[in-house]
Amino acid sequence: MKGLLIVSGLGILAMMAEIFKFKKLLFPLVLLGILGAYVANFMEWNSGFSIAVFDNMIAFDKVALAFSGVILATAFFWFIMANDYFEDMPTVVDHFSLVLFALTGALMLTAFKNMTTLFLGIEIMSIPLYVLAASKKKDVKSNEAGFKYLIMGSFASGFLLFGIALVYGATGSFDLMEIRAKISEMGSGMPSFFYAGIIMMLIAMLFKVSAAPFHFWAPDVYQGSPTVITALMSTVVKTAAFAAILRLFMIAFGGVSESWSMVLASVIALSLVIANFSAAVQTNVKRTLAFSSISHAAFMLMVVLANLRSNATLDALLYYSLAYSIGSIAAFGIIYNVTKNGDETFDSFNGLGKRNPLMAACMVVAMLSLAGIPITAGFFAKYFVFTTMIGTGYKWLLILAILTSAVGVYYYFKVIIAMYFKQATTEEPVTIELSQKVVMILTTLFTLALGAVPGFVAEMFKF
Amino acid sequence: MIKLIALVPLFPLIGFLINGFFGKKLSKGLSGGIASVSVLASFIVAVLAFLELEHSTNKSHVVELFSWISADTLNIPFEFLYDPLSAWFLLIITGIGFLIHIYSTGYMHDDAGFSRFFTYLNLFVFFMLLLVMGNNYLIMFVGWEGVGLCSYLLIGFWFKNQAYNDAARKAFVMNRIGDLGFLLGIILIFVSYGSISYGDVFSRAGVSSNAVVTAIALLLFIGAMGKSAQIPLYTWLPDAMAGPTPVSALIHAATMVTAGIYMIVRSNVFYSISEVASETVAIVGVVTAIFAATIGLLQNDIKKILAYSTVSQLGLMFLGLGVGAFSSSVFHVTTHAFFKALLFLGAGSVIHAMGGEQDIRKMGGLKGKIKITYITMLLGTIAISGIPPFSGFFSKDEILAHTYEHSKLLWVLGMIASMLTAFYMFRMLFLTFFGKFRGTHEQEHHLHESPSSMTIPLMVLAALSVLGGALGLPEFWHMPNWMSEHLSPIILHKNPSALDHTTEWTLMGLAVVAAGVVIYFAHAMFITNGVLPLENEEKMKPWQKLIYNKYYVDEFYDAVIRKPLDLISTAFYKFLDLQVIDGLVNGVGSMVKGTGNVVRLLQSGNIGFYIVSMVLGVILILLFTFII
Repeated sequence: MKGLLIVSGLGILAMMAEIFKFKKLLFPLVLLGILGAYVANFMEWNSGFSIAVFDNMIAFDKVALAFSGVILATAFFWFIMANDYFEDMPTVVDHFSLVLFALTGALMLTAFKNMTTLFLGIEIMSIPLYVLAASKKKDVKSNEAGFKYLIMGSFASGFLLFGIALVYGATGSFDLMEIRAKISEMGSGMPSFFYAGIIMMLIAMLFKVSAAPFHFWAPDVYQGSPTVITALMSTVVKTAAFAAILRLFMIAFGGVSESWSMVLASVIALSLVIANFSAAVQTNVKRTLAFSSISHAAFMLMVVLANLRSNATLDALLYYSLAYSIGSIAAFGIIYNVTKNGDETFDSFNGLGKRNPLMAACMVVAMLSLAGIPITAGFFAKYFVFTTMIGTGYKWLLILAILTSAVGVYYYFKVIIAMYFKQATTEEPVTIELSQKVVMILTTLFTLALGAVPGFVAEMFKF
Repeated sequence: MIKLIALVPLFPLIGFLINGFFGKKLSKGLSGGIASVSVLASFIVAVLAFLELEHSTNKSHVVELFSWISADTLNIPFEFLYDPLSAWFLLIITGIGFLIHIYSTGYMHDDAGFSRFFTYLNLFVFFMLLLVMGNNYLIMFVGWEGVGLCSYLLIGFWFKNQAYNDAARKAFVMNRIGDLGFLLGIILIFVSYGSISYGDVFSRAGVSSNAVVTAIALLLFIGAMGKSAQIPLYTWLPDAMAGPTPVSALIHAATMVTAGIYMIVRSNVFYSISEVASETVAIVGVVTAIFAATIGLLQNDIKKILAYSTVSQLGLMFLGLGVGAFSSSVFHVTTHAFFKALLFLGAGSVIHAMGGEQDIRKMGGLKGKIKITYITMLLGTIAISGIPPFSGFFSKDEILAHTYEHSKLLWVLGMIASMLTAFYMFRMLFLTFFGKFRGTHEQEHHLHESPSSMTIPLMVLAALSVLGGALGLPEFWHMPNWMSEHLSPIILHKNPSALDHTTEWTLMGLAVVAAGVVIYFAHAMFITNGVLPLENEEKMKPWQKLIYNKYYVDEFYDAVIRKPLDLISTAFYKFLDLQVIDGLVNGVGSMVKGTGNVVRLLQSGNIGFYIVSMVLGVILILLFTFII
């Protein structure tokens, strides 16, 4: 709870930086604030009891705090990485406050207890992102990205509202626990429009995590947005959306899983195929990663599909989101630096192994982790998902996931091949800011550490 | 200190990281200093912990660091086991490791890869410590593979010489064969007992059938054969002498090659249960001991002689393990670590003095020129030959006494091996240090004693080689055999000596007399008669040729294993790989690309289309949910 308050306070503070002229101080202040929020979050997690606030609309329980922790840690790295991009802009203040508000929404999504706070969280998170996606004002692509994102996002919000209304109509409550109670009380006597409501909500949430066939926005938006914003969307936003899906479908609708699990399974299968096969033929790195993020979303959805309310399930999703976020921050940070000249094709990576060996090495780790090769974090992330899935009736999905992630190896390795086996047009070394270097090294080490001692981290998540 | 035992492997790891990342920027003194100090720090912690263990009644401490891998029923914590066995190995590894680090600062001083050398050396110490400290077979396996890697890196340290690279590769491949056995053994252990932690496994070992235990014991022994260079996997060790001499002393004499002994002592439960397995160990051991000793008789490379001697001594240790004398083998590991490290370092000092020459045919008369090296090596040679009261005598005698009790035939073979040892060791000593100098004039001019950083470790090791026997005095002398008492908590089936004192005295006397006679014979041959090794093969008698060429084992492996394997590989490559696999893979690849090119068309960029397909998706899903 304190984390949420600190972050929203920071957002307001950031808006005042322009007026009271402490723009230069803003970056360190924000970093400190995020760190403070993380510490407060951790202390709450450690103290172990949670209070529900706002008439039981938000409750930071252990699961919420764990996801908040992942989000805050990712955000911390993200700010260090992104500062280089915003630093020289006259609008740095606006950008920072927008990001902080998006973060506030993300934290809300980890802790909502009520469908109103769910909707609020989604909107608070999304609206700043529409603006941020279009924040390269003079770039047509960026404008297009923001606009597309806005239109399609509003469309999805419409579905969400529609779904909430239907569910409310059937159960008479916005409260997740009450809905749950109602479901178990009524059994199969729920009206059919209730199920339609669940499906509508599911579709809206699937849109947010860009699962197929609701993924069309993702490649265009990821490619068009400034790279740092893409990084934000594929890490913080994804994690928050998954925390929300987990809460919604395990707490509220867990009892009627048969009504949505088949839909979810088909969506996962479709996402795996479309994402990996499309990614394989892309030439733009950011676009490839957009498709890859769809594939990762499918993996994380499998945990929800398993619908086993056990620690192992939560562990798996948490571990996956952490591994994926950290790996993505590293990858996008490097892409940002490499593609500064505007060339975003795989060729921009040619010869990076010579032009900046450290950066290339970190990129290798990030790619291996995203591809799921041991001993990186990504391997165990996939492994934990598989172990939660193995006991369920979706073995065919598991096999499909393994096969398609083999395709994934192909496009991740394209980057590695470009870095080490292709000749660059120039031998000129690629320079990188110190802060960027720090993030890059820290995230890389973190990825390796997570992979070297997976049990160590999983144990931290035990609750 | 036992609680802080994790510091022992941590220090070399830190040393490795510092030297690995910044070694090139550090001065040589700093780089070598950091590496040596890190091992010294480990040694100090190991000593303090050891003292604590000695005074504590609890002899087995498990220090859990973190939960390492946990998935369903597989739960492997990362924890260390600190008990008399691991405590003792820690002392050997860090103690001798430290001496060899010091020696290396002198020996490697002019080498361009100075910091790289210490990086590898620290990493080796780290993995070796992991190997002996783990509380389950997986950590042992990680250490096992790690030391193998470091061994590979260090054998091929001078990688510009292709022959050295080949030697490194040979060591790696040979070890991999053994490792596979070890790995299968671990898997079988897990399948049979549901755990790979020592405590669980050993307490449940009696439950499973004898066949399972035998299979486990034999598979583990295959691992030991690779790492500890036993027949048929020994041929890599002599070639491994391509590495710098301190490496030969540390890795290929004192520590890594004894990992197989450690593993079997650790798993002694299995070998106590399975007679078949322990017989196999004993026979392989004694055959290796004799086989390698005979090859040692006619080698001319000073390091190769020592390498064959190591193989032979390791064989003796396995003989001890096979007859159930576990603590005697650990005792011999210890004394062998002292005198063999000493001999290797001494040989290094000789090579240093000779400006890189390793052929004893080109040496001779060095005893006046490099006195310290000569005296220390003389002490080492006496120790290995089994002359009382030097350390080698006691440890070898203990193994042979247990062997005698077990089987007279094995004892005879063991005696022959140790007589051969005395002979070739004195042959090496006499040819190197006595007689006239046979090298070039330039070399003679260049002869000089090594710097004190090299001679001090020699002196320390010489003292240990002389006095080390006190660790395990024979029980019938009514003296405490400290080593066997120390190790008694971890040996589950003890095997007290049942020989009467007269027999023991006789055996001991026989051994001493035999060694004396052999040394006299060597003296007569090489000093009095001045016999020199033959310069070329043509003058040799057939049996000499056979031995000189190491029984043609390498050639045999080449013809029987490598060539057929090459043929099969080529056939597979040409047919299976190029045709079938490549065809399949390329087929899959073009399928993926083809599908991708179709699927990408969906991504038209037209937002109207996106929304239409989204709505279609929603409609389809709703239809699907409510109609089907």
